[in-house]
Amino acid sequence: MNSTGTAVLASAQPPRKLWLDHVQEWLTTVDHKRIGLMYIGYALIFLVVAGVEALLMRIQLSAPDNHFLSPEVFNCMFTMHGTTMVFFVGMPILFGFGNYLVPLMIGARDMAFPRLNAFSFWISAFGGLLLYFSFLGGSGLYGAGSAPDVGWFAYAPLTAKLFSPGHSTDYWTLSILLSGIGSVGTALNLIVTIFTMRCKGMTMTRLPLLCWLYVVTSWLTFLALGPLTAAQIMLCLDRFAGSHFFDVQAGGSAVLWMHFFWIFGHPEVYILVLPAFAFANEIIPVFSRKPIFGYPAMVAASVLIGFISLGVWAHHMFTVGLGPEGNAFFTLATMIVSVPTGIKIFNWLATIWGGKIRFATPMLFSIGFLFQFLIAGLTGIMLSVAPFDWQLGNSYFVVAHFHYVLVGAILYMIFAAFYYWYPKMFGRMLSEKLGKWHFWLFTFGFHLTFDTMHIPGLLGMPRRVFTYPADRGWAMLNQIETVGGFIQAIALLLFVWNMIQSYRTGKEAGPDPWDAWTLEWATSSPPPHYNFAVDPVVHSRRPLWDRKHPESPDTHYE
Amino acid sequence: MQEHASLPRDAAKNAAAPHGETGIESIHLPSPTVWPMVLALGVTLLVAGLITNAAISLLGAVFAVAASVGWFRNVLPHERHEEVHAPVSAAERAAAVAASAGPRPAPAAAAHGQRRLTYSFLSGIEAGAAGGAAMALVATAFGMVRFHSLWYAINLMAASSFLSWSNASDAFLSGFHLQGLLAGLLIHMLISVLVGLLYAATMPIFPRLSLVAGGILGPLVWTGLAFSLTKSVAPLLGARVDWLWFIVSQIAFGLTAVWIVNLRIRFLSAEFQSLPFDQRAGLHSNEAQRSAASEVRQ
Ligand code: HEM
Ligand SMILES: [Cu+2]
Repeated sequence: MNSTGTAVLASAQPPRKLWLDHVQEWLTTVDHKRIGLMYIGYALIFLVVAGVEALLMRIQLSAPDNHFLSPEVFNCMFTMHGTTMVFFVGMPILFGFGNYLVPLMIGARDMAFPRLNAFSFWISAFGGLLLYFSFLGGSGLYGAGSAPDVGWFAYAPLTAKLFSPGHSTDYWTLSILLSGIGSVGTALNLIVTIFTMRCKGMTMTRLPLLCWLYVVTSWLTFLALGPLTAAQIMLCLDRFAGSHFFDVQAGGSAVLWMHFFWIFGHPEVYILVLPAFAFANEIIPVFSRKPIFGYPAMVAASVLIGFISLGVWAHHMFTVGLGPEGNAFFTLATMIVSVPTGIKIFNWLATIWGGKIRFATPMLFSIGFLFQFLIAGLTGIMLSVAPFDWQLGNSYFVVAHFHYVLVGAILYMIFAAFYYWYPKMFGRMLSEKLGKWHFWLFTFGFHLTFDTMHIPGLLGMPRRVFTYPADRGWAMLNQIETVGGFIQAIALLLFVWNMIQSYRTGKEAGPDPWDAWTLEWATSSPPPHYNFAVDPVVHSRRPLWDRKHPESPDTHYE
Repeated sequence: MQEHASLPRDAAKNAAAPHGETGIESIHLPSPTVWPMVLALGVTLLVAGLITNAAISLLGAVFAVAASVGWFRNVLPHERHEEVHAPVSAAERAAAVAASAGPRPAPAAAAHGQRRLTYSFLSGIEAGAAGGAAMALVATAFGMVRFHSLWYAINLMAASSFLSWSNASDAFLSGFHLQGLLAGLLIHMLISVLVGLLYAATMPIFPRLSLVAGGILGPLVWTGLAFSLTKSVAPLLGARVDWLWFIVSQIAFGLTAVWIVNLRIRFLSAEFQSLPFDQRAGLHSNEAQRSAASEVRQ
């Protein structure tokens, strides 16, 4: 905005870059680091937007018979909140970190398909914009409806033209379709990059665990996004072309939609959680000063989780009435997921055990993650018992369960990842002091909100009600949840402030501020455009350890 | 930073400075391009038009087509690079995680490869013409042996466009018809040249497989396709074809075409076969990465 032609003429030697030059550089970049940062930045913006939507809902629910939001707006809010958080915060932020880190960690100069990478980012980004354009354009020609209001899983027949006139549902369908194209593109890119562009000496058994987890996540993305896209296209045909896939009156099936959605939806939650595991695998060892415990078991467990998570989707459909065989199968399958998941938790604990632990902010968030993920898994197992689910399905207990995972586990590891890799990305440390405030405040708010949320669920409060009568005894609990929500929001603001402030005044990080072991720390912070001037060569899983300790390299032990 | 399509693999430019000295590493990175973003915008608008206005879709389609063309031109025939100069100090070099084997020697065959890698349309057309001639010989031999006619085969070929000829008498098909000769020749030459081009483009990619794939497998698959197609589309015509002879004529085509392509590109030589895949396939991309990638697998 301060850019003028004269500025250039005036400046003497190095022609200062105009504001527009910077914009052009970012718009045309095919550099995996910049694309990664754009993914992350765009996800953070949507995180704030969807966070505001959550707070609006919390205000509405903080008192019985409240009229802060109308029922219609409330429906839009929970739909937009869920859709945004899953498709335009969770996936892009995780793909952003993957984009940034994977080539650096395997000693490559870029992703396998740099232009596809840019395309994938932009189409996801435009998908998000299209979704939010619905606030303006959702009424379409019919003057009915605004933002989508059919819930993040958009069950039939609610999405039929009859019940959802106007175009709000179409905005939901099409924006997810677009972002799905981007997700598949990035997944393809990550897999090919990891399989073909590892530096010399980096066999698959020396691959950083983060990259292994991105392989599994990317496979799940392939498998899950297909059914979702197919379902979205069928829904479009129903709505635009008069077909009847999900129209029960005309011989279609509403349950068909559920199957399609959840055969995407459950793998999707693992697509989101596996990168969180990935961060934990890198951060916990470095801050325990020990190599990861049981590398092969960790790889096997990750691959197993990927497989099993493809066969549990109907635990989201117990209340439909699956019949005894269906109930038994999906209960058992769901419970089996906890075996490899348990292996992981024990391995993380064993990594920490006896280590020389440094309680820096990344480690604090990782420890929070361990505890909270454990509890979330336990409520998950409770819900996997069909008769229990018949009581609590669609109640606030479920909402508490999945927020425990999505916030307590995934968002915690995302925070940890920021504190850990921000110095690499921007060359400056985040403030530890603000970081600790952020952690403790957020943890307090998180437990206030989401521990409490289990109780109204057990008391029978259904999810997605815009208000409740005073005589149910849920008011106090909901008030506590709302207060916790605002505390989390304040902590989040601290975090945003920390990122802005540290960018300008943070302590210089240097190439390797954490005394870490993987290749991204072998280059400068931020890394040069080409990552490594000389192609690295590795001989073990911890190349930087070998370099720092030539007297006792890992190669002797692996 | 300068943009250029990097054609020859300039080994000297890309080689690392000797161990321990300060040097400038010249690194090729894919050059920035706006087209992926424009394509994404185009696709988004294309879709958004469904729920706003058809004009938006039209605009999106224009963007998408323009971007696709732009993107193609960015990578074909050669990926566009920008060159970045990275200072490599002795310290940095030492800091490279472990001593690598010093300057990476240019792949031995690469220099030779440059000379030989002349993909021309011409070799494809030649291969098609020669293969087509070989095939015509076999087909004519078939006509002579079976129907004592020089014209039977070419008339049969013409019958694939004049379907009414499919149930004409053998006597009719054995006679000379100018119309049949012209139509048959045209069809035959067109298909031969197209397949010849395909051969010239694909055989060098997997030279070791070329004789089997281009000489035998391709003709068999093609025969299978033609067989099932005529069977369902033009059964009368299919019934007249002697499929054993047909296979022989196709193999004659295949082997001849492979032979001619090899005369031009010499892809059957050991020298050529030792080239990296991207060169054999006629692609050039970020060689630093490619050669690193090909060396890695242990
Ligand atoms: C790994 C990370 C996990 C995430 C991100 C996650 C997320 C979710 C989400 C979003 C839902 C609610 C969907 C909805 O109704 O809108 C849900 C429900 C459910 N989750 Fe999880 N979950 C995770 C792990 C688990 C585990 C480990 C189990 C069991 C071992 C589990 C069992 C269930 C069950 C049974 C339901 C269905 C509850 C119902 O709809 O009545 N989840 N989860
Ligand atoms: Cu699930």
